[in-house]
Amino acid sequence: MTDTGSDEPRNTGTETAAGGLFGEGGRFHAFFNDPRWALAIIRGTVLEAAHPQIGGALIDNSTFVTHPWRRLRNTVVSLQRMFGPDDEVRRREAARLNRLHARLSGTDAHDRPYDAMDPEVRAWVVATLFESSVTMCRLSGQPLEQWVIEQLYAEFRAYLALLDGDARHLPPTVQEFWTYYDRVVEERLENTEAMRVILYRLFDHLPAPPLLHGLPTLWAAGRALAGPLIGVITVASLPEPFRRRAGLPELPGAQTLMQSAYLAVGLARFLPEGLLRADAVVDLLSVSLDSDDPRARTIGALRDRMKRAGALVRLVSPLPSQEPDPDAGSTARRSAEEFFAAVLDQTGDGYLDWPDLAAMARELAGRLDLDEPEETRLYDAFAGWWRELQAALDTDGDGRVSAREYAAAVPSLAGPALIRVAEVLFDVTDADGDQRVDADEYRALFRTAFRRDMTGADGTYARGAFVRDFLAFMSGRERSTPYDPLLADA
Amino acid sequence: MIDVIEAARTAGVEWLSLYAFSTENWQRPSTEVDFLMRLVRRVVRKHAALLHARGIRCRFLGVADPRIPPALARDFADLMTLTGENRGMTLTVAFDHGGRRDIVAAARSLIRSGVPADAVDERSFAAHLPFPDTPDVDLVIRTSGEQRISNFMLWQVAYAEWMFPPVLWPDFRAPHFVECLRAYQQRDRRFGGVAPDTNGERRP
Repeated sequence: MTDTGSDEPRNTGTETAAGGLFGEGGRFHAFFNDPRWALAIIRGTVLEAAHPQIGGALIDNSTFVTHPWRRLRNTVVSLQRMFGPDDEVRRREAARLNRLHARLSGTDAHDRPYDAMDPEVRAWVVATLFESSVTMCRLSGQPLEQWVIEQLYAEFRAYLALLDGDARHLPPTVQEFWTYYDRVVEERLENTEAMRVILYRLFDHLPAPPLLHGLPTLWAAGRALAGPLIGVITVASLPEPFRRRAGLPELPGAQTLMQSAYLAVGLARFLPEGLLRADAVVDLLSVSLDSDDPRARTIGALRDRMKRAGALVRLVSPLPSQEPDPDAGSTARRSAEEFFAAVLDQTGDGYLDWPDLAAMARELAGRLDLDEPEETRLYDAFAGWWRELQAALDTDGDGRVSAREYAAAVPSLAGPALIRVAEVLFDVTDADGDQRVDADEYRALFRTAFRRDMTGADGTYARGAFVRDFLAFMSGRERSTPYDPLLADA
Repeated sequence: MIDVIEAARTAGVEWLSLYAFSTENWQRPSTEVDFLMRLVRRVVRKHAALLHARGIRCRFLGVADPRIPPALARDFADLMTLTGENRGMTLTVAFDHGGRRDIVAAARSLIRSGVPADAVDERSFAAHLPFPDTPDVDLVIRTSGEQRISNFMLWQVAYAEWMFPPVLWPDFRAPHFVECLRAYQQRDRRFGGVAPDTNGERRP
């Protein structure tokens, strides 16, 4: 390295104030328009998830698997706010993140505590983002210069300081950072369940990005390529010692594939605007593989490679610890099982678990556009319901409820905690607090108009009726309620 | 198992077949069958990456019964897809396999293709067997002291040499395999005739 940039204005990282580090002039700002950054964030998330404490929090709380694109967008938006020019926006975002993280604590499946407010944990999250940003440039053959790395590091430390009040859990200099980073990779990271879930379930059942929601066929084609490809690229880009220790596969050619992917995605941003148009992509994907179009052969070859990569990823990803018994039930049971699959098991893994209920709470909070403290009230109510379900239904004590356990105990489902969920949902839906859900409030929740038979004499929906209908739906007794499109089909 | 595969590869064996589960094994108690299915699935997944890294092409002979769990069938398909382009060694795992069934399947396929009866010879018949590129089997090792064919690749073993080591299959390791190979090399294979070139003298 010929230029260490010693004459560049540099922040030593001792300042905790935001002055000069954020906004347009920041190093970090340059990444926002860089498509490689999506790969870097996915990689960072995998490294985060490999930290036992963060893994525990992700397993319990994250929607990364159910709604990865939303989560990716949330992360980018949050970082944009934090690194943007407006100090007030930054302060509010930091407060919001602290609020969010304060909710994320508990114990993982091995009874080890996790706490998203733990400064060591938060430092590691920031460290993975920084390291993945630097690595992203290195892997695509455009390594950052030393002084750029140092400035970027100072920005990330300032980011941590904004959250924690200080950045002392990240070493003061980049040199010391690499020692710290290698040590955490060597000593702290594990092949956690969260990491496996992200690598496997996410990449095997990658939901369509919102852009493609109207084009299921297109996404089916895209997923066959994108899912395993992103998985293989991400695995190949992880630090070698960790890959070895976690027993992640070495796929011949994966390193080259990964580097060319980073390079290709990096180069894509230099293409003239509009060249990567959706219709051009659709056109390409609709090329028949048997046609003599020269593009067909290239796609065919690529598809074969991707098929093999997908097969490998599926084969090497660990199995769930136990498989559900294929036990045919009676007809009464079947309908309970149908309800379980359609409504309760939001993540589709065959088990009812906290993320399933959290997904419901999140969907409801999103529809009602809840702010604090209503959002927390709703979450708390769902968490209470989860504890009740777990205590009542998890007969084998594995911490989750299987479809069979659920079917065996349906009648006892409407306990006090579920009633509490209904009450809280009524309160937060009743935005003006007049103890009635009127037509507008109803529409906000269900995106549809009242049904005549639901309303009382005064044309509103009273608390008692609201609670009763919610309970009827949630205990699976009543079908085709307004909750079906809200929780079952969405 | 992986031990034996590795020994075979090192010894230069290009075609290796393992008999994992016969069509008759379905008659065993269902708990035993279930256990076997889970065991096979674990083994396949555990060694998939290694087999691929060693350049071994894996394929599964049989695998037709609907009782095979879909997840296992998927793993089989994945392993075949993953290793399909490898040319180092071909490992055929006979799973839910029956030699007679394969011959019946070949006969069906032959009839469907409309070949006149007189045009059928051994070579054209063999082309209708599953995995027709499989060469004739040279050596069959039947472990556990058993001395029967058990419906294994009936067509292909026509001129195979047989070994019956008393060691049980779970204990059968690389040294046992190498020992069998060495014994095989001492055998005098005549394919029903007399050896064509013993003592360097060509016989008519």
